Amino acid sequence: MDIQRVVVTGIGVFTSIGTGCSDFWQALLNGQNGISPVESFDTSKYNVHVGGEIKTVSPEPYVTEPQKIGRTSQLGIAAAKLALRDAAVDLASLDLTRAAISMGTTSGEPTQIEEFDDYFVGDDLESAGAEMLNLYPCHHISAHMASELAFMGRNTMIPAACAAGTYAIAHAFDMLRLGQADLALAGGADSFSRITYSGFAQLKAIAPERCQPFDANRKGMIPAEGAGVLVLEPLERARRRNARIYAEIAGYGLSCDAYHMTGGHPEEAGSVSAMEKALLESGVRVEDIHYISAHGTGTPTNDMHETLAVKKVFGDCALKVPISSIKSMLGHTMGAASAIETAVCALATHTDCIPPTINLDDPDPECDLDYVPNQVREHRVGVAMNNAYAFGGVNASLIVKKFEG
Amino acid sequence: MSQRACITGKGVISSLADHPNKLHHALCRGQCGLNPIQLFETEYIGGEVPQFDARVYLGEGNLRPLDRIAQLTASAAQLALADSVWTEDMRSEQDVGIVLGTVFSSVHTIGAFDQIAVRRGPRFVKPLDFANTVINAPTGQTAIWHNLRGINSTLATGAGSGLLAIGYASDLICSGRAAALLAGGAEELSFEMLFGFDRANMLSDSAESAVPFDERRTGLALGEGAAFLMLEAVDQAQARGASILGIIRGYGTAFDPIRGQDADKLQTAMAAAIRAALAHAEMSIEDIHCISASAYGSPMGDRCEANAINDVFGDQTASLPITAIKSALGETLGASGAIQTVALLEHLHQGVLPGICGFKTPEMGLRLPTSSNKNCTTNMKNGLVLSFGHDGNLCALVLSKA
Repeated sequence: MDIQRVVVTGIGVFTSIGTGCSDFWQALLNGQNGISPVESFDTSKYNVHVGGEIKTVSPEPYVTEPQKIGRTSQLGIAAAKLALRDAAVDLASLDLTRAAISMGTTSGEPTQIEEFDDYFVGDDLESAGAEMLNLYPCHHISAHMASELAFMGRNTMIPAACAAGTYAIAHAFDMLRLGQADLALAGGADSFSRITYSGFAQLKAIAPERCQPFDANRKGMIPAEGAGVLVLEPLERARRRNARIYAEIAGYGLSCDAYHMTGGHPEEAGSVSAMEKALLESGVRVEDIHYISAHGTGTPTNDMHETLAVKKVFGDCALKVPISSIKSMLGHTMGAASAIETAVCALATHTDCIPPTINLDDPDPECDLDYVPNQVREHRVGVAMNNAYAFGGVNASLIVKKFEG
Repeated sequence: MSQRACITGKGVISSLADHPNKLHHALCRGQCGLNPIQLFETEYIGGEVPQFDARVYLGEGNLRPLDRIAQLTASAAQLALADSVWTEDMRSEQDVGIVLGTVFSSVHTIGAFDQIAVRRGPRFVKPLDFANTVINAPTGQTAIWHNLRGINSTLATGAGSGLLAIGYASDLICSGRAAALLAGGAEELSFEMLFGFDRANMLSDSAESAVPFDERRTGLALGEGAAFLMLEAVDQAQARGASILGIIRGYGTAFDPIRGQDADKLQTAMAAAIRAALAHAEMSIEDIHCISASAYGSPMGDRCEANAINDVFGDQTASLPITAIKSALGETLGASGAIQTVALLEHLHQGVLPGICGFKTPEMGLRLPTSSNKNCTTNMKNGLVLSFGHDGNLCALVLSKA
């Protein structure tokens, strides 16, 4: 069987700074800030109070029966519908038994278990969770998306924490390459979570006001929510229907540090290995990479180790390649982050524009690469690399290429 | 896809046994692993792993960072690593990866972490527990314990997660993305999971009423456990002189968007998953010598599965030995498909397919003549494993003994 080439033909995002591909992209290029005071739960007992909640728009209008599903599923459905619309896919012409969904998440539907916990602590389990089985386990996210769209192909949820979006896109890429589906929706989703917030607050990893990746005064990450979904198709199918092609998925690399659950590897072994595998599969050299979408959480250690890892892989080219972190604007959308960032890579190759790292006022001497500070950059992007790192020591790098026939 | 993924090792932790051969014999003796649950207060019975002590498998290292599901996962992984002779030295030289299927993962740890924040305040939560609140925590903890630096993936597709993990891993092997992967599933019994199933009215109140395909069935008993296969590219396994136990021939999936609400549609989707697995394996129905069914005691789900098997196998169904092991082990959700696969491989090697534990009364009209509590002794090479989530995500996989 021939191995298919796989292209991105649609992008749907649902975030605090914009929904839909073009609004979101414009907001990114403008360096818009999506951080605001947390409203979905009381933060008075926390030391920090800001997050990246989506407040001005609701995913509910995209969902047939929003009251029957959790917020993460709603975000996934909204992004999926925006992506399908963006790709101008005619669902009537699609063999729905070969329409697949592959999604990533960190926490699934955390608000469902949080609600259970409130009842549990309040000694009122009688009131809790009649629908918990149908709402909480994370496989419902991709399943709810498929039910909404009547997709009957492979349906997979990959909870790989903050690299989950890339893991899910990589899985969809393989499915399409191997001819297991005709079209795949692939991405990630997470809703704002008290559990996540409590944990990062206790690790003293949350910045009090702004997310400042690679800045000398960076104070941490900022938890956020969102969803990003790509429409992926085999090149032949995309060509047949004259689809607009944003970019081609060239390859990926996955690895595990097998070292620490929440901290990185002291010698960046896993992140280096993921990048090298991705480069090898894609058949591109480091000098061909024109943009790196960084994991760039804004924690002191992440940004330093990530910088060192890029230097190890890119050598002298490390100083030349533009690198940016959109988490400076959105905060950390957890399982959605690397899916949204893959979309950013595709858009960067499509438009030859690179979104900035905002809030980068005072460069850190230990982070001495080109992080595209504060201003959008027009720059030819032939090939872009997306890096993502996660709890569990999980690393993922994915490479997209400008589509040139 | 020139390669095939072969099985070079297997490991299992379950309520009945912690070794595939012991599990096989327990199933053939008709032993039932369902007992009153001890882990937390409840009236229900379940397939709890009795007196589970991970130190037996993992030694005296610091187990504190690993919660129950992570300990089950790491223990079953240890058994599969040992069985396939992937030593620590070899693992330091070469990347081994892991693919884990689960449904609830560390839900009890997640709930307990949050309950401390609610009860005492967020400044009292434990950072060590926070690491285990991500759904992939058991996979990450197991990778740290065993130094697994390859692909580290967690799959959640409902009760079919463990079987899909094996299919997904076999694709990664066949396409050259990994040379060696532990593939399987894990689930721990927890109050939170039981609560969800209880509220959904899916639990049976006795072992007798949780028997697959039996007329008296009213629902399921929950269970826990973990199981892994070591999958490798055939040429690599041969090059290192590993003994090859079996081959993953192919797998297939289907998704029922109505999610089990309509029996006809569920049955059609189940049949589609079986046909997809046969097509992927390039096999016809005559090539399948036995089935490990997904059935767990659901009045409707088991009937749909029996009908789907009939739809695909037609007249051949009458002579097809079928087992179902969930009345012995409980519904172990994310672990179930992996446990079934490990068990079926052993059944194939022993030439005996165990009968269904506790089976007495066939349901009228359910055309599964071979489902009985008697073991079937026969020469079998290829087996079909079915793992069907009640909520519509369906997986089928074909394997052969070597």
